[in-house]
Amino acid sequence: MSIPLLICDDSAMARKQVKRAIPEGWDVDITMATNGVEGIDAIRSGKGEMVFLDLTMPELDGYGVLEKVKTEGHKSIIIVISADIQPEARERVMGLGALDFVKKPIDGKKLTEVLTKYGLL
Amino acid sequence: MSEQLALTEDQRDCLQEVVNVAMGQAGDSLARFLEVFIHLSVPRIRLVAKEDLGQELESLIGGHGTKVSGVSQGFFHVEDGKGIRGEAIVVFNDSSFKELADLLAYDEELTDAAEKELLMDVTNVLNGACLNGIGEQIETELAYSPPSILGQHVPISDLLEHEKLSWGHALLVEISYTLEDRCFNCTMFLLMPGESIVVMKEELDKLLEDL
Repeated sequence: MSIPLLICDDSAMARKQVKRAIPEGWDVDITMATNGVEGIDAIRSGKGEMVFLDLTMPELDGYGVLEKVKTEGHKSIIIVISADIQPEARERVMGLGALDFVKKPIDGKKLTEVLTKYGLL
Repeated sequence: MSEQLALTEDQRDCLQEVVNVAMGQAGDSLARFLEVFIHLSVPRIRLVAKEDLGQELESLIGGHGTKVSGVSQGFFHVEDGKGIRGEAIVVFNDSSFKELADLLAYDEELTDAAEKELLMDVTNVLNGACLNGIGEQIETELAYSPPSILGQHVPISDLLEHEKLSWGHALLVEISYTLEDRCFNCTMFLLMPGESIVVMKEELDKLLEDL
């Protein structure tokens, strides 16, 4: 059965870049969200078993999404994909329950590497 | 004229993401320089007419009469004079200097000269990283001229008053760097005049085609 995958980013270009970076043959059912509020809604309705999450977004940012996922107890596996490359940004998202951090612009090889590392492919 | 310069929704989105990535790199450089965590916001992009620039800056940075200090640095494409060019302008709220001096353990009196030095230091950190970041993504090497002070402790709407602005419309990009729990706010504006927008639009279209 395909994995419900949510791509949450306010940029249409970034969403396309992430979609294109998804490893070929990975059986996912993709939902797109354009901000954190749409993102958490999608997660609540079961569309985000896997989440590729941006940090800097209007309405609700990526940190806010991670916090809500935690307090509401969703079991989503979240990989943050962000341009905020400060080491502390990475530490913060990991502290909030993200599985890993991949920097933008996204590199398909790097994403595959991360997914392989956690046995998600 | 301004219709021809207006970005399509795809171009605006693309530029915002390009700036977002560059902002991340600049934010990281500033964070390392100040040894703090920098809060980043979504960059804002708008097309402005010359006569509205002062008001636009005022609305972006905190209302009428906000006193700021600012540095400007020209950037341009290296190969020829026709390509992308513009100004990168770094603006500090007056209240930011004390915080900045504090963070950098600068214990001398904050004279205008000392503030100028702080302003120049931060400008170099931010502009280098940000302009390189943009250049890398649009595969255009951007060179820059030495920074110069636009004004110290002046109302934001007057900051560019004495500049000879040779354009009618320009693309204004606002990038904000904030520190948590401190009243430090530093804003970077990229100002790209008329004919440069046309070149930028072409570069953005190339990026969009590659998607």
